[in-house]
Amino acid sequence: MQIKPQKKKSSLFTIIIGCGKLGASIANMISDSGGDVLILDKDKDAFRRLSLHYGGLSVVGDALDLDKLKEIQIQKATTLLVVTNDDNTNNMVAQLAVYQFSIKRVIARVVDRDKESIFNANGIQTFCPVSLSQERIGQLLSADDPVDGQTVDTEGREQ
Amino acid sequence: MKKSIVIVGGRKKAIILAKSILRKGYEVIVINESYEDCLSLYEIPGISVIQGDGTKPYVLDDANIHNVDIAIALTPNDEDNLMICQLCKAHFSVKKTVAVVSDPKKIDFFYAMGIDRAVCTISTVTSIIEQQAFINDITNIIPIRGGNIQIVEVRIDGYSPAVDKQLWEIDLPSEVIIGCILRGDEALVPRGNSRISMGDTLVLIAGQQQEIPAIKALTGR
Repeated sequence: MQIKPQKKKSSLFTIIIGCGKLGASIANMISDSGGDVLILDKDKDAFRRLSLHYGGLSVVGDALDLDKLKEIQIQKATTLLVVTNDDNTNNMVAQLAVYQFSIKRVIARVVDRDKESIFNANGIQTFCPVSLSQERIGQLLSADDPVDGQTVDTEGREQ
Repeated sequence: MKKSIVIVGGRKKAIILAKSILRKGYEVIVINESYEDCLSLYEIPGISVIQGDGTKPYVLDDANIHNVDIAIALTPNDEDNLMICQLCKAHFSVKKTVAVVSDPKKIDFFYAMGIDRAVCTISTVTSIIEQQAFINDITNIIPIRGGNIQIVEVRIDGYSPAVDKQLWEIDLPSEVIIGCILRGDEALVPRGNSRISMGDTLVLIAGQQQEIPAIKALTGR
């Protein structure tokens, strides 16, 4: 464990499941802004995606293992971000977090849009890369000035 | 109308289950990801086989499982079985969903997520092995709720330390009660002063894996 610079003390604690490109970059972002973050992945080699300055925790383990989730004190997380590369795993981890550990804010990635409603039915916030890309491409295509991408409205899909 | 059942995943289990359900007169649809498994399933007469990933909504849609009576998820992964059952319920109005769960700790979670029946193969199989290992003393064990509660039949022979004792004299674990004494053709409701005799069969209700110490206390083995 590294000693991280205490820029500001906050009670926010984010846990990220899955250290892929997205998980790692969010972990780096939170760490850089001085936030508390823990990232879990079952493959230890995945952590090479974290930056050298990453000041949070990284733990090797399977997120579907209840004992592992207890070990990382998942119940202390104020936000859980579930971004493994498998929708079904994301669904189960997110639902375990809501049901077993009463985490208020759970955000999960869903690749297959048709499965999104299953997540949402259990109070899990979702985002779908295809939907986001589609939206962005739509904006780019409909933009008046094709050179300046900044003129388009980049409002999120937050529900 | 014929009742219909869809079975998703599972290799040998799917074949054996499909055959047995077909014999009971149900219509059976199986969905399996592996081509080889689909071929062997296809050899069963009267079965519909769909090859594909049953956790994908479009595959379930292709299998035309709308309003199917029962969906059984047999894949080796708990997360896949959860997704299959949840999709069947939410998108296809399947009446009853059954999931095989490998992690016994997740049984309650599956029930909380709206799955109608969660079957833990590991705890069911281990309890049968245990039953077989103690076959001389016990004639039957019925696990309930993934094995948290067991109903156990124990035969009392002449060597048993419990013979001719009143129930209150026997030191049983507190998680165990004697539910019934079977004597000949009679079933007696036990009281503290009931006396156990040779040849009785006791029906125990045991919680928290306390059946083995209880059997030890009753039979001396």
